[in-house]
Amino acid sequence: MSEEILAPLAGKIIQMDLEVGKAVEEDEEILVIEAMKMETPVFAPCSGTIKEIKVKKGDDVEEDDLLAIIED
Amino acid sequence: MRPYFEKMADFGRELKKSQLKQTAKNRETLEAAEAEIQAQVEGVKNAGFPTDKINARGQMTVWQRIDYLVDPGTWCPLHMLYNPMENDEGTTNVIDGLGKISGKWAVIIGFDNKVMAGAWLPGQSENILRVTDLAKRLNIPLVWLVNCSGAKLTEQEKFYANRRGAGTPFFRHAELEQMGIPVLAGIYGTNPAGGGYQSISPTILFAHKDCNIAVGGAGIVSGMAPKGHFDLEMAAGIIEKAKHFKAQPPGTVATHYDETGFFRYVFEEEQGVLDGLKDYMKAIPAYHPKFFRVAPPQSTRFPSEDIYSLLPMEPKRVYEFDQILARLVDSGEHMEFRPDSGLEVYTGLCKVDGFLVACIGNRQGYLGKDYPEYADYPGFGGKLYRQGLIKMNEFVTLCGRDRIPIVWFQDTTGIDVGDAAEKAELLGLGQSLIYSIQQTDVPMMLVVLRKGTAAAHYVMGGPTANRHNAFTLGTVASEIYVMHGETAAVATYARRLVKEEAAGRPLQPVVDKMNELAQDYHEKSRPLFCARTGLVDEIVAIKDLRRYLTAFAGAAYQNPKSICPQHQMILPRIIRG
Repeated sequence: MSEEILAPLAGKIIQMDLEVGKAVEEDEEILVIEAMKMETPVFAPCSGTIKEIKVKKGDDVEEDDLLAIIED
Repeated sequence: MRPYFEKMADFGRELKKSQLKQTAKNRETLEAAEAEIQAQVEGVKNAGFPTDKINARGQMTVWQRIDYLVDPGTWCPLHMLYNPMENDEGTTNVIDGLGKISGKWAVIIGFDNKVMAGAWLPGQSENILRVTDLAKRLNIPLVWLVNCSGAKLTEQEKFYANRRGAGTPFFRHAELEQMGIPVLAGIYGTNPAGGGYQSISPTILFAHKDCNIAVGGAGIVSGMAPKGHFDLEMAAGIIEKAKHFKAQPPGTVATHYDETGFFRYVFEEEQGVLDGLKDYMKAIPAYHPKFFRVAPPQSTRFPSEDIYSLLPMEPKRVYEFDQILARLVDSGEHMEFRPDSGLEVYTGLCKVDGFLVACIGNRQGYLGKDYPEYADYPGFGGKLYRQGLIKMNEFVTLCGRDRIPIVWFQDTTGIDVGDAAEKAELLGLGQSLIYSIQQTDVPMMLVVLRKGTAAAHYVMGGPTANRHNAFTLGTVASEIYVMHGETAAVATYARRLVKEEAAGRPLQPVVDKMNELAQDYHEKSRPLFCARTGLVDEIVAIKDLRRYLTAFAGAAYQNPKSICPQHQMILPRIIRG
């Protein structure tokens, strides 16, 4: 079973610590989006393994853009 | 009202190992900053003569007196670093805080007899007025440990006179007494002139056998009758008189116990004075906590130490306020007021040590699509918008109606600005909140978690609400200023830049000034600056925040001036619907 990680807000990805195959824990911070001079961390919605990554550091994203997919 | 309060809704989530690991550096940064603040506090504690020297004179230090007087584990110091006039001594020379004596909360203040025998110093009267205000707001006794050699004469022009000068506390003592708030005083050492009024203005005087209190002390009595100059003959006379008055100072126990009876009691030992204060505190009017508790006291559901992982030192970093609050209140339970409105602000009822308290705090981060509803730009927590201001107005007003003390938590960049915000009435709604606070006669305290900025610092129960704000705490992440330094630099120099460019002159000198101003703002908003200047009443270690909340709640409910029966409260019903 897989779960999509969506951008919670529009902004620029300024930090990212993700690679395909990496195991992550629920609530683990996986990237940071900067918008309105604030840095918003994005957390893994569930524990699992990173199956796909759709963005890279420096990308601008819109709200609800697909960032990555986690597989249980 | 047991069904409402015994078990409220859970909130907050346990931190995962990965989160603790990812936030380890933040924790280290916060703890290192707290160690720096603590080093400053130790400097104040060690000001003046060493403890051994005071003890060798047969005296206890103010710290030893406080330690003996206050119930173990209840001391919550305030104003430790307060030094608004930048005294060389590093202190205003009074030590104060909240603590329990014989099981009852009191505001406690004592002169530091290690420093110039407890002299008046610049800034001290302002410190004392904060303390008398605190006793007044919480309606609890003020307990003095008087040991005051009078004014530091070489700096008298800085504090002796004026509207809030060194005489003002005596009027405040009278005010407290007229309100039915007792002022107890243990009196030690030599207390001439100002020290004499410090001694005589309280309600009941407990004297040590070697103390004296007087309108004028030995020094002044031996130097009276000025002749316009000094000469050697006069110097010899002064020496003779000084020796006499040192041996027989005015206002000893022989006068003020045996003759005037000003001293209610005299004690042979220093500790006897403190025992006398403890004994009288047993007789102070105070409700048993069970009178007001809404549930048995509970510890927090998650460790308060988690907050070192949850509160980012980095000011741009977004975090979850609810997660922090859940670690400060009993059992991680609450009743949130209007969760679907005013998303940038948390308002809710929580329990602290079994007492009902109202909590208000800034939420952080993106607030979702179409919020604020009046603007075409996204809303971010930390800012205040129309709905949040209305929600706080309602909540505060209902807390006043139900007589529930309020704890504010600030991390705010200000109220939303721009024409859309003006049309949304934010200017009026901010002042409405001030009006609501002013007419809500319950004790309030504030924790500036991170930013206290712009008018939002005023309208969210800041110290400017000084009839209601009992005290304000900061953390090592706090920063307080009218606006960010870079914003201030732009506001100050934008027009200058335009002019310089139009004149064809180099811009670098203006840019340099902008950087200087931004740096100055940074330095004058740091926690240490805030504590020294009184923008906060204490910088508190994060692990100690819960203890201060407990002291506030216990003190606020000890002897409240006004009561709402729990079963007649309306706010819990509004929340439940």
